[in-house]
Amino acid sequence: MGMFDGLEISASGLTAERMRMDVVAQNLANAQTTRGADGQPYRRQEVVLQERTPTSGFGAALAGAMGGRTGTPGGVQVAQIAKDQTPLKRVYDPGHPDADANGYVQMPNVDSVSEMVDLISAQRAYEANVTAMQAAKQMFSKTLELLR
Amino acid sequence: MLFDTTQLALQRAIEGAAMRQTALANNLANANTPGYQRVDVDFHSALGRALGSGTGARSALERTGFSTQTDGTGAVRADGSTVDPDAEAAKLAANALEHQAAVQVAATRNAILNIAMGAR
Repeated sequence: MGMFDGLEISASGLTAERMRMDVVAQNLANAQTTRGADGQPYRRQEVVLQERTPTSGFGAALAGAMGGRTGTPGGVQVAQIAKDQTPLKRVYDPGHPDADANGYVQMPNVDSVSEMVDLISAQRAYEANVTAMQAAKQMFSKTLELLR
Repeated sequence: MLFDTTQLALQRAIEGAAMRQTALANNLANANTPGYQRVDVDFHSALGRALGSGTGARSALERTGFSTQTDGTGAVRADGSTVDPDAEAAKLAANALEHQAAVQVAATRNAILNIAMGAR
């Protein structure tokens, strides 16, 4: 176990939660986009998080040899950014250039209310990781004060 | 006196609290990971067992190792995770205070030794 593992773990949490906030912002920005990168209406994106376990290195080998958990805590990582495959919304707007023969336009499946909820959740989780980082930092500095 | 059982116990407690901090930080980092099982380091009972072994306490303290264990006792959320961010934050704060207390006692002991050795 390295001395600064605690900071690295919290940093991985910050990266992951920031990624969630970025994706929420992307979804909100594209809530009305009828022409995405693939020419189709934009589909809501979702971040899939996964626990990061160090599978190589001294720490992991030691933990395995000592019969502990499969690895030392390694933080979190973004496994993938998945597209939400729920059906797109159909809106009647005959004047829209992307309307079909019946006057319906396929709109993105972004629900701004649930995006806001995701944003708050990511923001709170980000703050929790900052708190954990501050606690780790304080502990290190207190330990170092022993040398004075 | 310089490296007696108390000093060793303090050292191990500081070590255990630092290790527990990484486990709790990992829980908070994975607060939004579906299916994640929370982990913890139970260094209290390991230290308690070592200190309770009478005259062999010193060698028991030296041999005691801490490990990060999966905690299966928590309530399971709808997404399969067992992390309660509020509870983790509270544990983290308590652990930091505990660490600070152990460091403070160690620092005071060092100061006493310094005075005894004639330092000013």
